[in-house]
Amino acid sequence: MRPVVEIEGVVRRFGSVTAVDGVSLAIAEGAFFALLGASGSGKTTLLRMLAGFEMPDAGRILLDGADITRTPPNRRPVNLMFQSYALFPHMTVAQNVAYGLEMERRPRAEIRARVAEMLETVQLLPLAGRRPDQLSGGQRQRVALARALVKRPRVLLLDEPLGALDAKLRGQMQLELKRLQHEVGITFIVVTHDQDEALVMADRIAILRAGRLEQVGTPREVYESPATRYAADFIGQMNFLPGHALPGGLRLPDGGLVRVAGEGPVQGEAVAAVRPERIRLGPGENTLTGTVRALAYHGLDLQLQVETPAAAEPVTLRLTAGEAETAPGIGERVTLGWAARDTRIFPA
Amino acid sequence: MPDSGAGRLVLLILAAVFAFLYVPIAVLVGLSFNASGLPTAWTGFSTRWYAALLQNGEILGAARNTLIVAAASTAIATLLGTALAVGVELRRRRSRGIEALIFAPMIIPDIVLAIALLSFFSLLRIPMGLHTIVMAHVVFNLAFVCAVVRARLKSFDWSIVEASSDLGASLVTTWVRVVLPVIAPAIVAGALLAFTLSVDEFIIAFFTAGAGRASITLPMQVYAMIRFGVTPEINALATLVMGASLVALALAQRLNRRTLGA
Ligand SMILES: Nc1ncnc2c1ncn2[C@@H]1O[C@H](COP(=O)(O)OP(=O)(O)OP(=O)(O)O)[C@@H](O)[C@H]1O
Ligand SMILES: [Mg+2]
Repeated sequence: MRPVVEIEGVVRRFGSVTAVDGVSLAIAEGAFFALLGASGSGKTTLLRMLAGFEMPDAGRILLDGADITRTPPNRRPVNLMFQSYALFPHMTVAQNVAYGLEMERRPRAEIRARVAEMLETVQLLPLAGRRPDQLSGGQRQRVALARALVKRPRVLLLDEPLGALDAKLRGQMQLELKRLQHEVGITFIVVTHDQDEALVMADRIAILRAGRLEQVGTPREVYESPATRYAADFIGQMNFLPGHALPGGLRLPDGGLVRVAGEGPVQGEAVAAVRPERIRLGPGENTLTGTVRALAYHGLDLQLQVETPAAAEPVTLRLTAGEAETAPGIGERVTLGWAARDTRIFPA
Repeated sequence: MPDSGAGRLVLLILAAVFAFLYVPIAVLVGLSFNASGLPTAWTGFSTRWYAALLQNGEILGAARNTLIVAAASTAIATLLGTALAVGVELRRRRSRGIEALIFAPMIIPDIVLAIALLSFFSLLRIPMGLHTIVMAHVVFNLAFVCAVVRARLKSFDWSIVEASSDLGASLVTTWVRVVLPVIAPAIVAGALLAFTLSVDEFIIAFFTAGAGRASITLPMQVYAMIRFGVTPEINALATLVMGASLVALALAQRLNRRTLGA
């Protein structure tokens, strides 16, 4: 099946800054696609090009196979939910949501029915007569969402949709957005700089770095098999052990060997990478010994920082609640082990 | 503290300042209701001077002229001033020169503006009358409307313009349905301010009215009458004008507060 959105070699420069630098992406129908990247990596710029507010300096954007690169925003079957929500302050909730349908010159009865249905979906029906300044942050966020969704766009673009909410509400809304997306069956492209959020919500993630794509894949792929050191560092927690690459592994400065499965550099300076939750107490295919320097209790798990002669940075591991019962104390000597297949190697 | 000597002194000074500001006005309002024609004796409450005012053809004609000038110059200045404010705000590169040019008419002394406009009209051989007063009033009203509207635009969230376009609206629709309604209170406030300024403007009107009685405005009429002494009729007139100005100003301030508070 043809992807809904195809981005082909898109470039956007602002003066001497290249905000988006040759990005190519295909986004499948019905996907929940996350654009993830640090501040200034070009996420908003890319999204604004999809909405039509920025023109690419090079490249094309296709929607359902048709070139929309030069189509103005008001003629694209694509809607953007603004980071600031951009609600019309002089209109009620219902008028805000109806606006887009009025622009399509839909019959009054249809507008009324669709607005009511949409407000019902986002649980705002009782607040239909209020103005934006009489709403809480979470309610405004849902009005913005309803206003964009009611037009049934081919693609809904969301710029940091949960950025303005507090941590708890954010967690709820992440699941809520996912449920809603499933319910309406519209392709969502969401921008976020929060990797947890991307992992929870998206079914595909693109990692942007300085305007270029670092990796595109499912949450599991980017988490389990990061393509680059940057991606490995950006998503989740990661231990990096610098050393010298050799075929099948990496030589640590203290002479120890880290065995690595899969491809990577076979010579030169390199780093071995392993997730904290993959390391267990006791020897394994790869083994390090060291001294416990710090313990941090996180409710679900216990994090241990272990100082080893093999690396300057302490190695972090996560013990589950069960294992934590018999955890070593600070200052105790421990042996750490993990499997070769849980280890990746990247050029330094 | 309010019982201390210093506190009482401050209150006293405050009272004196307010008395200095408002006692003359209170006297004027009081005298306008004085049955006697003399400012030296109170002989009872009466509205006879207001009745006399409404019989005075000269005053009514001047009032009519003033309303025409104020309404016309306000309408033109509001249209141009709003457009100017928006245009300047939309410019990417801010220019201090343009800012100065826009606000100069607010600062230049009226007498200078009056002489300049008079020379300008004579130079171009434009016959003077109500229309030249209107043009002259547009000059300073424009600056005031522009200032009020720009203050509102400073806090205007331009992302709602993009949101409107994103939802399918054309540029014109976006202006009519989103931008203008949001800044409307500031436009109305600017217009009210312009109207009040125009109603009691004397110097510029005096210089640009041309000869003859046909284009005499209310302040000019009062000036003409006052040369034969302050009559109770003038007190009544002043009271009415002040009342109308106060209402307009209060309205403008309320609207402005609402826009800035939004
Ligand atoms: N209108 C503009 N004019 C000049 N430079 C811009 C403009 N918009 C973006 N940039 C620059 O382009 C780069 C990418 O910006 P962009 O807003 O796309 O980043 P972002 O990934 O959305 O960041 P954030 O997470 O902080 O929102 C930045 O260096 C930014 O300074
Ligand atoms: Mg951004």
